[in-house]
Amino acid sequence: MTMGRLGNAQPTEVIDRGAKLSFRWNGKRFGGFEGDTIASALAAAGEQVFSRSMKYHRPRGILTADYWDPNLLVQVGDDPNVRAGHRRLEAGMEVSAQNVWPSLRRDIKAANGLVGRFLTAGFYYKTFMRPARLWPAYERVLATFAPGGKIDLDTPHRYHDKRYMHPDVVVAGAGPAGIEAALAASADGARVLLVEHEHAVGGHLRYDSRDTAVAALAELRAALDASDVEVLTDSTVTGRYEDNWLGIVQRSHPVAVERLIKARAKTLVVAPGLIERPYVFAGNDRPGVITSTAARRLINLWGVKPGERAVVFTANADGDAAAADLDRAGVEIAAVIDGRQGHRVSSTQGSPRAVEAVVSGGNRIEADLLVVAAGWTAPTSLLNMAGDRPVYDPPAARFFAADPPGNVLATGGLAGDGTLDELRAHGAATGRLAAQRAAAVAHRLQALTARAQPVGGEEPPWAPDDRIPLGRDPHPELYRSDTHGMVDFSEDVGSKDLMAAAGEGYDSVELAKRYTTATMGPSQGKLETVNTVAAIAEARGETIAAVGTTVWRPPYAPLTLGALAGRGFEPVRVSSIQPWHEANGVHTILAGQWIRPDHYGDPAAEVRNVRSNVGLIDVTPLGKLDLRGPDVAKLLNLLYTNKWSKLPVGKVRYGMMCAEDGVVLDDGVTGRLGDEHYLMTTTSSGAGGVWEWVENWLQTERPDWRVHVTPVTTAYTSINVAGPKARELVSRVTDGVDLSPEAFAYMEVRTATVAGVAGCFMWRIGFTGELSFEIHVPAGCGLHVWEALMDAGDDLGVGPFGLEGQRIMRLEKGHFIVGQDTDGLTLGPSTGLGPLIKLDKDDFAGKPELAWAVGRPLPMIVAIQPDDPNIVPAEASQIVAGDTNQILGRITSSRMSPTLGRSICLGQVEPELAAGGTKLTVLLTTGERVGATVMDHHAHFDPTGERLRG
Amino acid sequence: MGSLGRRLGRGPAKYSAAALVWRGLRGGQWPRIWRDAELKRSYDAVIVGGGVHGLATAYYLARNHGIKDVAVLDKAYLGSGASGRNTAIVRANYLTPEGVAFYDRSLQLYNTMATDLNINVMFSERGHLTLAHNDSSLRTMHWRAEVNKLQGVDSSVIGPDEIKKVAPSLDTSSHPRYPILGALYHPPGGIVRHDAVVWGYARAADCMGVEMHQKTEVLDILCEGGDGTDGKGPGGRVVGVRTSRGDISTPVVVNCTAGWASLISAMAGVRLPITTHPLQAAVTEPVKVFLPTVVVSGSLHVYISQTDRGELVFGAAVDPVATYSIRGSLEFTEELAGHVLELMPGVSRMRLLRQWSGLCDMTPDYSPVMGFTGVDGFLVDVGWGTYGFKAAPVSGEQMAEAVATGRTPELIAPFALSRFDTGELVGEKGAAAVGH
Repeated sequence: MTMGRLGNAQPTEVIDRGAKLSFRWNGKRFGGFEGDTIASALAAAGEQVFSRSMKYHRPRGILTADYWDPNLLVQVGDDPNVRAGHRRLEAGMEVSAQNVWPSLRRDIKAANGLVGRFLTAGFYYKTFMRPARLWPAYERVLATFAPGGKIDLDTPHRYHDKRYMHPDVVVAGAGPAGIEAALAASADGARVLLVEHEHAVGGHLRYDSRDTAVAALAELRAALDASDVEVLTDSTVTGRYEDNWLGIVQRSHPVAVERLIKARAKTLVVAPGLIERPYVFAGNDRPGVITSTAARRLINLWGVKPGERAVVFTANADGDAAAADLDRAGVEIAAVIDGRQGHRVSSTQGSPRAVEAVVSGGNRIEADLLVVAAGWTAPTSLLNMAGDRPVYDPPAARFFAADPPGNVLATGGLAGDGTLDELRAHGAATGRLAAQRAAAVAHRLQALTARAQPVGGEEPPWAPDDRIPLGRDPHPELYRSDTHGMVDFSEDVGSKDLMAAAGEGYDSVELAKRYTTATMGPSQGKLETVNTVAAIAEARGETIAAVGTTVWRPPYAPLTLGALAGRGFEPVRVSSIQPWHEANGVHTILAGQWIRPDHYGDPAAEVRNVRSNVGLIDVTPLGKLDLRGPDVAKLLNLLYTNKWSKLPVGKVRYGMMCAEDGVVLDDGVTGRLGDEHYLMTTTSSGAGGVWEWVENWLQTERPDWRVHVTPVTTAYTSINVAGPKARELVSRVTDGVDLSPEAFAYMEVRTATVAGVAGCFMWRIGFTGELSFEIHVPAGCGLHVWEALMDAGDDLGVGPFGLEGQRIMRLEKGHFIVGQDTDGLTLGPSTGLGPLIKLDKDDFAGKPELAWAVGRPLPMIVAIQPDDPNIVPAEASQIVAGDTNQILGRITSSRMSPTLGRSICLGQVEPELAAGGTKLTVLLTTGERVGATVMDHHAHFDPTGERLRG
Repeated sequence: MGSLGRRLGRGPAKYSAAALVWRGLRGGQWPRIWRDAELKRSYDAVIVGGGVHGLATAYYLARNHGIKDVAVLDKAYLGSGASGRNTAIVRANYLTPEGVAFYDRSLQLYNTMATDLNINVMFSERGHLTLAHNDSSLRTMHWRAEVNKLQGVDSSVIGPDEIKKVAPSLDTSSHPRYPILGALYHPPGGIVRHDAVVWGYARAADCMGVEMHQKTEVLDILCEGGDGTDGKGPGGRVVGVRTSRGDISTPVVVNCTAGWASLISAMAGVRLPITTHPLQAAVTEPVKVFLPTVVVSGSLHVYISQTDRGELVFGAAVDPVATYSIRGSLEFTEELAGHVLELMPGVSRMRLLRQWSGLCDMTPDYSPVMGFTGVDGFLVDVGWGTYGFKAAPVSGEQMAEAVATGRTPELIAPFALSRFDTGELVGEKGAAAVGH
């Protein structure tokens, strides 16, 4: 065994050697300690191979030992792609390797490595084309190469939470600079949120066992504990959006699986530190080749000895420190190769773990561990998202922040290098600047809000950036050695692939990325972007700065769909009468957000009862807008196609709305309740859309009009009482209104007290063709009024009817439904309501298109009856020309009419077929063709409307 | 393609398994997909925009009409705009007979593209499900199915049990808010590797002599004889293009841009009734393939497919606000995730890897603007909203014919710019806006 747990506790270790945890890895039982990550526990147990690479299925071991380690993606239970370098070990975890068959040790697809030279990046674009009929089979094989874990389709959407915050300063990254920034901002009175990606604050100090580092970390932690700074660990600022709107995912939460925090930060301090960059050489992806950071983390955080005999390739002080840590941990240092002196590592050999390293000059050194410190990548993602385009600095061999907006400040490794004291001082100065600027932003925001408390005092000045800049340590530009190796470990893309792609013409970073898929895998370019750019630059013979980098897009770290979705609110609405419906055998139907009664067992019987006695329907979802003000009539004239100026108080009128393209948008009745008070009703499905439409006109086109709009759909329960005995029934429960036909005529509105409930609006309209009273009751009393009507009408044969009964009756009456009998192409005149389109009005929505439509042949909505009264053509059946496939129209609504005892339809037909008596051919969905006839009127029943005016 | 290569007398650039093996053994470098040419001072035609539409137009100009002295200009790299940002769904199950005919032709061209262009565009004919969550959308699905059947397009409405068989990850159980009542199932629909389409057209056009010029921004269109300033506008004619790399003289300029269509057209004095909206999309980390079809839900404003690489690709409706900004929003990902989990609760542990945004040029009637403009020699193929990728092959074919013959082909006649003067808008709102 070459890896294992160090016998003695390390001063900085985070494991509790007293708390043993047991878990399974690929079905076998393993042990670890509280504080271990999955990877550290497995490494301590001697495991060397954690995954197989995507394409060649090469064995892969630890590379960086943190969240970004591309080789440490594992399946934990039903959770795929878990970062084993980051996820804390829990007792009983079921951990397994992903995308291997039959096992991690013996993976059959490793055979791909033998033919690797033929499988260059993008090879699939060049083959599998002939014979074309075999491509689906090829595709199925290719799809088996999809990397990643497995989804368990039965995974429930567990509890996820969201939180909104309005902190003054958010600090992303709790290394020494970030902590100092948070402390300084807090000391200056700012409310500060400090967000740390790892499980504890401290950054690189956490795995630095030197006394000065240990002391500094203890001091910083104590200061944080004593401060008002809110600290979130195991949390990541995933995105910076417009105006410092931040997404933050909190992975460790006591109750929720994860929590998404949405914070509006007045200033954002970006302090993520640096990510160590792999070095490209042959065999750089072999288990046993690790970054210097990984070596230090393994030793100092988890007490894991990463190998027995190491070669250390170092080009910086951190690599030197790693060598010291290894030595202290009892790892034999076979050689230290100094990159600063121009020495290089060329390749490794051995299987699966590195057993021999070849260094420049051809020297071969036996070892089981190769630790590499070749340079750093600045994770500039959040700066990118703020619009900054980081600039490459060749002497320092990394990118730096360029010129981020004033409310985004970088510190730590993104800003430069320095001693620990210098980094801390820069962090503190950044925190002070952030607090000052946050105060200025707060003042501005308060001044912007119209009705807020008057802003006291002068706006604080925008603090100038007077921080003492950090220096930049020189660093050799180490990207690729004298051999080719792996660049993107997630995607199995090597430097050879990238240079070949560039040679083939994919020579910009974006093209090469798209062609080779480099940087597109789960580590999101954190490790490989700069090496990718370097390979392209080398192929083009240009500098890294000239090639430039790709745009880093959100999220900074992947976050689960569960966290984004939160608790998954998708509310449904029911009316206040729903308990009665449920107690009375309702069959419901979903209509928009509403669950509403479809029928109560026998819709045909409900229809017959309404036609002969009286029925009640709950029409609460009907959209209702309360309109008040002197300019309501103007608004109605603008929105409806007909005229509204002369509507008297106490009257209601039907209107049709068209969109600006002349297409029917909605319809409904609006009543005038008082001089400057109207109630508009819309279709149920159009309620939300019409409200937006009204507000859009008022706010953007006619802001000078005085109209106050209140949506009151749910403030009233709406009940339609329909049938020849409706007046008798309503009169039994209504006070204060004369219901006689002379006093309260069709299309009139009254305010009434119904069943003791004052303030009900009642109007005489109806969709069923019967004498109807539609009563809008304050919602809290809806159930009471419904029950009172039911009780009072017992002897009249009152019964409920649902949406289906209403649909049958409206079809018998030939009323069209917007969105069913009309569609996205139906212009106003096609409905047969041409006379309601008043082109002599000044202006109204859709007028130009409707004026254009005058006299043009348009498809028309017509009533249709099949020749065979027993055939009900399915809705959407096409009307065709004889035996051909030429489409001349379609059936839009069809039912068997209980009243007429025959099938009835509405349909849209070409203009030449719209005249009454025209014979049609309907193609049933079964393929059969049947005859049908266009009717003279839309109404199949009571065309003169005697019943509803009674 | 061997024949393509021969036409230019170039080496054996043919892509095949045998060629892969041969080069693998020899270690040889593949030739460039397109040449790096010097920008000439004059071309027979200049195409603005190196996306799928512009490249397809160039390809068909050369292949079908022998017009090869053509330059395709792009201010960034080929495929950098909407061509590489869309969710790569293709289908032909439209609502109007005109729409069906147009997109069916496009689907045919996609079907044979791999062999026509000798590049594997990985057209995955995996079937396309449009879900219905209420009886009104179910009715629309039936309508589309009936129209499609009469046009010979394979399309039918299937119920929850069958949906479960086609896409087991969908939650077809009873569900209060968004029950899955049925779906329009369109087996010929699928996804295509969009970048490969860009490269395929570019490579094939290059073989015939067309030049691709990246990082070449069009600064102005040079006109004479028009009503407007500098001879631009109706009645005038195109004489050249001013680019960031110098002036080019040409009698024909085709505007094949998306996102900048109205700005480029304004350079010729042509006003377009276009507003530009961002459309956002996102992709997850890969998991083993579990979703075999394309799934679309109009009510939930989401479309989902899983690539052969295992990533779920999501798209949505265009953002409501007109803007040229292509920064994504957090709210988009939240709403998207919520809607996806309504449909497939089992994917709650999948991780969103990347979000991005592209620009869509929206017209009042959700239909493109294609053909001649009133400025002689200035043609447009723009206003493609959210459905440009699906239409690229047929658009290129038709635009090339318009350029070559000087006449508007019948298939694109309804999309003429003049319809906004005559009022004869195209009824594609219902057809094209029904989703992806």
